[in-house]
Amino acid sequence: MLLAMSPIHHSRDLLRLAAVAVVCAMAYGAAMGSYGIIAGGEATQILYGAIKVPILLLVTFLITLPSFLVINTLLGLRNDLRQVVGTLLMAQTVVAIALVSLAPLTLFWYVSFRDYNIAILFNGLMFALASVGAQKPLRDRYRELVQRDKRHALMLKLWLITYAFVGIQMGWVLRPFIGKPGAPSQFFRDEKWDNAYMIVGRMVWDAISRMF
Amino acid sequence: MLSAVRKLDRILRGEATSLEAIRDNRFDIPIVGISFILTILGMIYGLCMGTFSLTASGSNQNMQILATTVKVPSLFLLTLIVTFPSLYVFNALFGSRLNLPTMLRLMIGSLAVTLAVLSSIGPIVAFFSVSSTSYAFMVILNVAVFAISGFLGLGFLIQTLHRLTIANQSEPQPPVETAIPVEEAVVSPEGFEIPPLPVSRSAIRAPDHRKVATGVWLIFRVWVLVFGLVGSQMAWVLRPFIGAPNKEFAWFRPTGGNFFEAVWTQLGRLFGW
Repeated sequence: MLLAMSPIHHSRDLLRLAAVAVVCAMAYGAAMGSYGIIAGGEATQILYGAIKVPILLLVTFLITLPSFLVINTLLGLRNDLRQVVGTLLMAQTVVAIALVSLAPLTLFWYVSFRDYNIAILFNGLMFALASVGAQKPLRDRYRELVQRDKRHALMLKLWLITYAFVGIQMGWVLRPFIGKPGAPSQFFRDEKWDNAYMIVGRMVWDAISRMF
Repeated sequence: MLSAVRKLDRILRGEATSLEAIRDNRFDIPIVGISFILTILGMIYGLCMGTFSLTASGSNQNMQILATTVKVPSLFLLTLIVTFPSLYVFNALFGSRLNLPTMLRLMIGSLAVTLAVLSSIGPIVAFFSVSSTSYAFMVILNVAVFAISGFLGLGFLIQTLHRLTIANQSEPQPPVETAIPVEEAVVSPEGFEIPPLPVSRSAIRAPDHRKVATGVWLIFRVWVLVFGLVGSQMAWVLRPFIGAPNKEFAWFRPTGGNFFEAVWTQLGRLFGW
């Protein structure tokens, strides 16, 4: 944890952060996928989980980065860019470390309660907790930047919005993370990929139209 | 190629359009070099935009991706060619002293900013294209991305227009603060003096406290109106960009209808009115 939050001087430090993030995310992914063997299913989901969680975190980060860098440059914040990228990567690593620390809880939950839907909800809660936990160090680091230039506060908001927008869809596409009992263990679902926002929108729309 | 990329970087950083650069006649936006980069950037976005057509939920037509790659840069360059003469003449009528090369540089620069932002959002669009089944969602997402990029490009346009106007005016004497604010030296708790940080420049922020003149705003508004209307209609003429899932591939669709009507229809599909 302290390692993740130490200051960043070289690009080597960035790589080290990314490596820590990947290892931790893999560990949580494996724990997440172990629902299968605990609930009496296949073990391959452990492997899939270990691959998917790092993809979820890092690919979302990489997809969101280019536009963020260009807009930062346009706003004249180019000189702080190394620090900004380091801070964002640090936040990723903190999320991953927090997830690992929550992994025993997830395993304990799987052992105690077998319900599949509740397991999904519990994992969602763990991700939410880890993300909320990373907000504090992220904001602390950003405070220094905001003091230098107020536009950094705006950029942080932009980052969080874009990251969530892409991350939610990424999580949806990478399903299943846990592996439904009875369903065959697979990397991707067979059904067509669909857009998470369209599905939620349709659900809300159905709920509203049923009311009237 | 590399030098052109470096020039683009200077535009994005705001160095190419700083007041000092304009005053020293170093308003260097190389027309050919930047146009070349523009085309490449447009092609990158076109590639990302066209990926929807490769999926089973899209039109499943591989030609569409090639067509879109060509069409996105054409959209911007053709709009520039169509609107430039009238913009230039209108500008001259209003007594602006911008000469033809400067104006062309200004327009090319704004397009470069727009396309740099556009292509940098490309990976997000490509990801959603691959993973979405809804055509209406993709249309609205792409329109939103174009709008964001266009908005930032306009920020560059108004600021640069403003700078070109004030660069050669006599420097006003601000009573309290200097024209270019320099942060005061901060003394850290240990007593070491931290040297003042270099003031960050920005291509889309006002260089000092001077307001944008009314004449400049007027010219800007007319440009935006003309360029925006022609640009959206150009997009309509050049369609399909994304490729509707239920239609065959075609380089162009039959004429008729217009851009705004179509966006309204897709919004209706998305939100179900």
